[in-house]
Amino acid sequence: MNFIGLVAAVATFFSIWFGHVAVRKVEFISPTIWMPTVIFAIAGITLEWFSLSTSNFLLSAAFGILGITLLWDALEFTRQQNRIKKGHSPANPQNPRHARLMREYPAVTNLDLLKRDPLGKPVSPSEAIKLIH
Amino acid sequence: MNFFGFALGIATLLIIGLGFVWVIRGERYFGYLWWPYVMGLGILLIAASLFVNNLWSSALLGVIGASLAWGSTELKEQAVRAEIGWYPFHEKKILPPLAKSIKKWKAPHL
Repeated sequence: MNFIGLVAAVATFFSIWFGHVAVRKVEFISPTIWMPTVIFAIAGITLEWFSLSTSNFLLSAAFGILGITLLWDALEFTRQQNRIKKGHSPANPQNPRHARLMREYPAVTNLDLLKRDPLGKPVSPSEAIKLIH
Repeated sequence: MNFFGFALGIATLLIIGLGFVWVIRGERYFGYLWWPYVMGLGILLIAASLFVNNLWSSALLGVIGASLAWGSTELKEQAVRAEIGWYPFHEKKILPPLAKSIKKWKAPHL
């Protein structure tokens, strides 16, 4: 049995899952974008350093995958803010940065339009709002 | 210096990037009800990676399998995005076998 594929799979799945949830939650509450971006970039670079330094291939794979994913997540904070501007992700009125976006961009909303099951047909913007209530 | 993990990390980034493409296209033409098959294929590839001796082949099989398993949990949300009009909506979808039963199951979303 060769466990490198399983380790790579677990590292990939949990890295994506962690990034998916963390980027949304952190961007939701963080007053700035640059702070989480810098923290995730430093964490990613550190993990890549670990990955390069170890002679164990299982550890090198896990650190390598998690590190690169965290570096991508660092960029995702900006992309997530762009989703907020377009109203594709819910804004947090308690976050001063989001409150500002709410004033500057008419599409910003605090509704999560994705929180429902698919219907199988296109819906109008007003229907899309009704469907989540 | 051991470049294996770094190179595998870059390969993983590209494979995840491909995930964006197949989730969007796959949902558009086939619909989200394929999710159990996609998840099953992902798990199968991860299981197969255990029996592949070559380091890179086994690692890439694992990453591709995990990316398929993750993507399967994204299909339902992508279907809603297309219905809202954030992505092109394609009416005629090629449905999977047992689509009616799958529709009654709760599609996973993480």
